[in-house]
Amino acid sequence: MNKKSIYTIVGLIVILTMVLTACAPKTPAVTQVPGATDAPAAELPTTFIFGRGADSVQLDPAIVTDGESFRVTGQVLEPLYEYELGSTVPVPALAEECVPNADATVWNCKLREGVKFHDGTDFNADAVVFNFERWRFTTDPYHFASQVFEYYEAMFGGFDDASMITEVKKVDDYNVQFTLSDPLAPFLANLAMDMFAISSPAAIEAAGEAYGTPTGGVVGTGPFKFVSWEEGNQIIVDANADYWGGAPTIKQIVFRVIPDDSARFLALKAGDIHGLEQAVVEDLASAEADPNLTIITRPALNTSYLAFNYNILEFQDIRVREAVAHAIDKEGLISNFFGKYGEVAKNLLPPLVWGHNDAVVDWTFDPALSKQLLSDAGFPDGLSEVTIAEDILNADGAVVYKAGDKIPLRLYYMPVTRFYFPAAKEVGEAMAANLTAAGFNVELYLEGDWPTYLGSRRNGLLVGLYLLGWGGDNGDPDNFTGYFFSGGAEPIKREGWYQNAELADLLRQALVNPDRAAREAIYQQTEQLMHDDVMRIWLGHNNTPLIFSSKVTGYGAQPVGADYFEFIEFVP
Amino acid sequence: MGRYILRRLISVIPTLIGVTLIIFLFQRLIPGDPAVAMLGEHATQENVERIREQFGLNRPAFLDREALADGDLTGFFDSQYIRYANRLLHFDLGNSIHRRIPVVETLSERFPATLELATLSLLISLLIGLPVGIASAARRNSALDGVTMVGSLIGVSMPIFWLGIMEIMLFSVFLNWLPSGGRLSTGIVITPITHLLLLDSLLTGNIPGFVDALKHIAMPAIALATIPTAIIARMTRSSMLDVLQEDYIRTATAKGLAERVVLFRHALKNAFLPVITIIGIQAGTLLAGAVLTETIFSWPGIGKWVYDSILGRDYPIVQGVTLLIAIIFLLVNLIVDISYAILDPRISYD
Repeated sequence: MNKKSIYTIVGLIVILTMVLTACAPKTPAVTQVPGATDAPAAELPTTFIFGRGADSVQLDPAIVTDGESFRVTGQVLEPLYEYELGSTVPVPALAEECVPNADATVWNCKLREGVKFHDGTDFNADAVVFNFERWRFTTDPYHFASQVFEYYEAMFGGFDDASMITEVKKVDDYNVQFTLSDPLAPFLANLAMDMFAISSPAAIEAAGEAYGTPTGGVVGTGPFKFVSWEEGNQIIVDANADYWGGAPTIKQIVFRVIPDDSARFLALKAGDIHGLEQAVVEDLASAEADPNLTIITRPALNTSYLAFNYNILEFQDIRVREAVAHAIDKEGLISNFFGKYGEVAKNLLPPLVWGHNDAVVDWTFDPALSKQLLSDAGFPDGLSEVTIAEDILNADGAVVYKAGDKIPLRLYYMPVTRFYFPAAKEVGEAMAANLTAAGFNVELYLEGDWPTYLGSRRNGLLVGLYLLGWGGDNGDPDNFTGYFFSGGAEPIKREGWYQNAELADLLRQALVNPDRAAREAIYQQTEQLMHDDVMRIWLGHNNTPLIFSSKVTGYGAQPVGADYFEFIEFVP
Repeated sequence: MGRYILRRLISVIPTLIGVTLIIFLFQRLIPGDPAVAMLGEHATQENVERIREQFGLNRPAFLDREALADGDLTGFFDSQYIRYANRLLHFDLGNSIHRRIPVVETLSERFPATLELATLSLLISLLIGLPVGIASAARRNSALDGVTMVGSLIGVSMPIFWLGIMEIMLFSVFLNWLPSGGRLSTGIVITPITHLLLLDSLLTGNIPGFVDALKHIAMPAIALATIPTAIIARMTRSSMLDVLQEDYIRTATAKGLAERVVLFRHALKNAFLPVITIIGIQAGTLLAGAVLTETIFSWPGIGKWVYDSILGRDYPIVQGVTLLIAIIFLLVNLIVDISYAILDPRISYD
């Protein structure tokens, strides 16, 4: 090969590279569509692009549980009630009001008149009855066997005859009556949940099982209308010009999937998106220093915790549990791993939720006292090994741990980052150091990936100390304490075999008591009771940061339910 | 040759059966229940059981020996694998457990994205790797050779996620030339024909669409091409060096043939066989999806999708995609074998 040939090849490569990297004159990229461009002041963007880490699972809110689905469905569909902007208080949405009878077993709801679904059909009592019957009755033709209406079951006690809602009756076109088997104190808070948003019956009938999928779409009454869904890439919704609450200022929202946290932040810096959630700590620091970006926080409606497995003999001794409580440096953990967005927790209920008991005095960080308590409990040399109290079986019924088995003392950490636990592994490592310093020679333990972790937790197989957390669904205290412990007359294997009949009884009383003040007193009592029993170590509440272009205003970050996008505006 | 190809195509069938068995077995060896993964923290035991039944996960993986002991022959064969195989015979990959939509539907949307990215990356790798490798061998121990070897070493060693982030920093954030991710801008529409956006935009004469698609694919294609380019360059150089030391090359040079003729007519053809093998492997690997590249550039292909599906225990997706990947590898291998015979007259399959 002569030099000329080599130069020709190299030249071709250079040209190819230039073409591929679009080494063209420095003009704005075509990707910078009107919504994403740093446009002149006179031409503000009308499309808001939100970057998120994962795609929605499904857009029929009744059958999903993931936040990324609700983020979208919350813009397209509306429930009868919704949560007041920035709070957990239920306020009327598609219902103008819902009024209970004296014992709160019958609720009469007056519906908003003149509202139409995006497909042009009327929102009325028939639509409400259609949706509730679809969710409740397993024999309903649109309650498909492949779908699980999990939240209906969880919030209203079950399906068919097990449902606490025993009848949803059309009184007239714009009045609906709900009859309950028992008083259900959080009824309005439940109605306001994204899962109970009302879909167009005509759309469900037309799409069948495909309703809520990329091909079936979703039809509601909300401020935005579903346009398209390109799986793994983006979902587009357009403003509903006829929205009963007034048309949004922006014309379109694009929910774009950018799985990598750093790439998502860079996309925001590049102007390709206008807002994001789930930023890494380093990017948050960078955003704080960037005048083109602003950070807002979602108020914390979550709690992270360290749990005991009560099927371990040693943990049945309250002195050992108290020793663990005194061993943990919560302040240090929260400030180092949650950053300035975290708050130290001393209750299961976050301060935002009524029923939070501020009078509870948290356990002090005192490793010397931990060692003393351990010694008092019969472990003067510390605790390295624990004993299984009763046989523990797996899902198939096989014995995994036999009563009397001795196993190393384990600290299980979550294999994923969750909104309530921004750095579970790092917290686990630091906590292990805390515990070791106080006489607990823990083995930091990785159970497997997230499904494995959840499966083991479900079967009471996290045999040691384990990290987990909870994010509230409706702002009602029952959704926290009741979810975990209302069945506690028997050992709850899902909750580390915890058993507390007194607590369970109080929680059942609170669930059916329509008097809010009385309920609040009960939940405060349960907080004190859980603290006195050292049943778990509450670690922190995390206020989730969201980062936006500084040209964006009006984003409504909600502690519960989908965020409000309809008030978003671009400013010069 | 025709009979050889037919024989190879027939041999694909037992291979694919073996692949389905292995995939099936390995998936079920991983702990974690798909129903629990789907339903999450809230799941009740009743719902877990219902979903397990709905997707046949409550059945034995391969054969139900208890049913056989009870004399129930139908029950004996009513296993997860037999049900899966039965669906496959009807060209049905099943529905995603999490999303309840047909795997084929999503696959037909996502695979073209992977195919387009892989094809362009391979093209870049060949256009750069081959000439650089040849030039490097022809000028052994020269400055060019040194630069090539160091460059290819860096290329092989460079972490894709780091390169991807650096590309975005440079071309998107600082220079503002290229979009940071995705496949197409919002507002740009390309009429789908093949679902390969570059091709479709050309077929429909949509130049703004072509430019937009090209700008989106540029960074991920370059990032993804880095390692194959380096490997192909090194392999080409090494293979060429071996051949260039052969007697017949010395003879050709002694006869006074031009260097270009010696290199391209006599050396390259023989040196190409091992290179073809490497290209085949790289092509298969690229087509199998690139998790990191797709994640960093939010490229909606099969790599990130199947990765998430493995974590979520979405068996039908993992089974469907791995089967597709197996078919791709088998076809690529067949093409590679056929090209041996074309390139080397000494190889005959008849």
